[in-house]
Amino acid sequence: MGMILCATRGGEASYPTQDAVIALAKEQGDELAFLYVADISFLNQTAAPMVVDVESRLEKLGQFQLVMAQERAAEQDIIAQAFVRTGQLRAELVAVAEEIGATLIVMGGSLGPDAAFENSALHVFAADLQTETGVEVRILGSND
Amino acid sequence: MKRSVLYGLAVVGIISLVGGIWWLLAQPTEGGYGPAFFISTSIFVLVFAAISLRWMHETAAALLGAAAVWLVHYIGGTYFPALHIIDFEESMAFVDWNVIWLIMGMMIFMAMFSETGAINWISFRTFRLAKGNAWLLVMSLVILTAVLSAFLNDVTAILLLVPLSIEIAQTVGIHPFAFVIPEVLASNIGGAATIIGDPPSTIVGSHIGLSFVDYLVNMAPIAILCMVPFLIIISLLYRRELAGAKDQFSSALMARLEADAQITDFPLLRKAGLVGLLMMILFFTGDYFGGIPPSVIALSGAAILVAWVRPDMHRMLHEVDWTTLIFFISIFVIVGGLEATGVITWIAGIIGDLAGDSLERATVLMVWIPGVASSIVANIPFTVAALPIADFLTATIPGAENGVLYWALILGADLGGNATILGSAPNIVAVGLLSQAGYRLGFGRFMRDGVPVAIATLLLATVWLLVRY
Repeated sequence: MGMILCATRGGEASYPTQDAVIALAKEQGDELAFLYVADISFLNQTAAPMVVDVESRLEKLGQFQLVMAQERAAEQDIIAQAFVRTGQLRAELVAVAEEIGATLIVMGGSLGPDAAFENSALHVFAADLQTETGVEVRILGSND
Repeated sequence: MKRSVLYGLAVVGIISLVGGIWWLLAQPTEGGYGPAFFISTSIFVLVFAAISLRWMHETAAALLGAAAVWLVHYIGGTYFPALHIIDFEESMAFVDWNVIWLIMGMMIFMAMFSETGAINWISFRTFRLAKGNAWLLVMSLVILTAVLSAFLNDVTAILLLVPLSIEIAQTVGIHPFAFVIPEVLASNIGGAATIIGDPPSTIVGSHIGLSFVDYLVNMAPIAILCMVPFLIIISLLYRRELAGAKDQFSSALMARLEADAQITDFPLLRKAGLVGLLMMILFFTGDYFGGIPPSVIALSGAAILVAWVRPDMHRMLHEVDWTTLIFFISIFVIVGGLEATGVITWIAGIIGDLAGDSLERATVLMVWIPGVASSIVANIPFTVAALPIADFLTATIPGAENGVLYWALILGADLGGNATILGSAPNIVAVGLLSQAGYRLGFGRFMRDGVPVAIATLLLATVWLLVRY
């Protein structure tokens, strides 16, 4: 039995990927884990006062997004684990993949204006990640 | 042979250029249009461009600009007196320390208050009270955002409210834009209501020595009035989305939402609430106590809370956002350079010519120039630079001594910031928060809502200023 790790941010653009990875886990009989990585680097764009603990608020937001993903999985009789981390997506993906012994890493393809990555950048990212972790990285829910 | 001729010509050209610049710099300058005039203008324009086009962090750009002003003054000025822009001591006189201390005091208070979880608790109660009525829910959250922006500050209100609003929107099955964009627009309107709500309000209010109440009685009525067209526009723009809200919610999501909206520290909430109340009383009665400046009240509140709560001071000071304070000080220095070299007087003269002796025309110009500018460039440096122009026009146009041009500047800078994502810090922060939940809010999509709201509120503000003053 393998372990699939799926990085997701939530939002409608991620639903096709979540559905695809849930179907894949069901088909292969693999375990499934969702990972949300909160990245607060966007706060560097302004000098406005940031006195709120944004990291902890985003961690809560991430937990909420993963509850939604877990609900989608439960509808297909899949019990998914959820991991929330703060930092850079790549470093956290590598760390969590190692921690849970992932056999497959899944990322979402670019679907419409809400997508986090451009397709070309995503493929480069996936290839680099596969080299670094030695774990197969697959892009699901993509238009290409 | 050909190459050596080219080299020779290049050397002669460079020597001529350097010599020409040297000769120009060595000439005595009459009036304010010497090299220092152009260099201080160039520094300001470059800093402005770096901030508005996001070439680098706002604070880094402003700090670099301030350093450039001093380096040109001291090093260039040693060889060419025409490069004297402004020295260190003179430039410190241009820094409005009331603004700096007020922002610092409020930051310390907010850093502690935000740890109580009270704002999220209120949001969740609002959600519960709305009982599935999406329209009522959005209107309540929007009004809550406006009020919080007025009394905390707009960016803090957005950072506290938006993550939970995204969760609420997802729970009721509505696109988060229908909650978040109205909240952001409301924060910019609400921030205009008090002297502590929005940076342009703080900068202008402090510059003309207003107390909290002086500011409030002049600006709160128009900020409240602006909420009317804003709420109408929002209701129209989102009527379809709001009609499609679910009335049955997932129990797992509700449980998660409730867990995210707990009051996390009751003793701290009690203490912060009491100190906040004391600060409010002092803000409202400050005129009675010899016109105590808002900065003194904010700092005193922060000091009392720190002494009472006894937080880890290293952690506390770490939570004060020093980049904001450095940004403000640097911008004051750069604009001080513009004033010292006559740039501001020159621009004020042009605007004065456009306005003539007409207070009405000057008022319209002072609302709409900052209004349009704030939608495309950063409104803090713009406001700091526009202040001396408002001073000049107030001193020269008959009838302007009632301060109408300052109110016009505040309203233009605050309300104009609603037009585009770049217009104000809350917009930028909200875009980042949305992206963290997988929703990319683009420039055009924001403008669809922001432009009509900005135009309607600027129009209303213009009419109100012309009628009232």
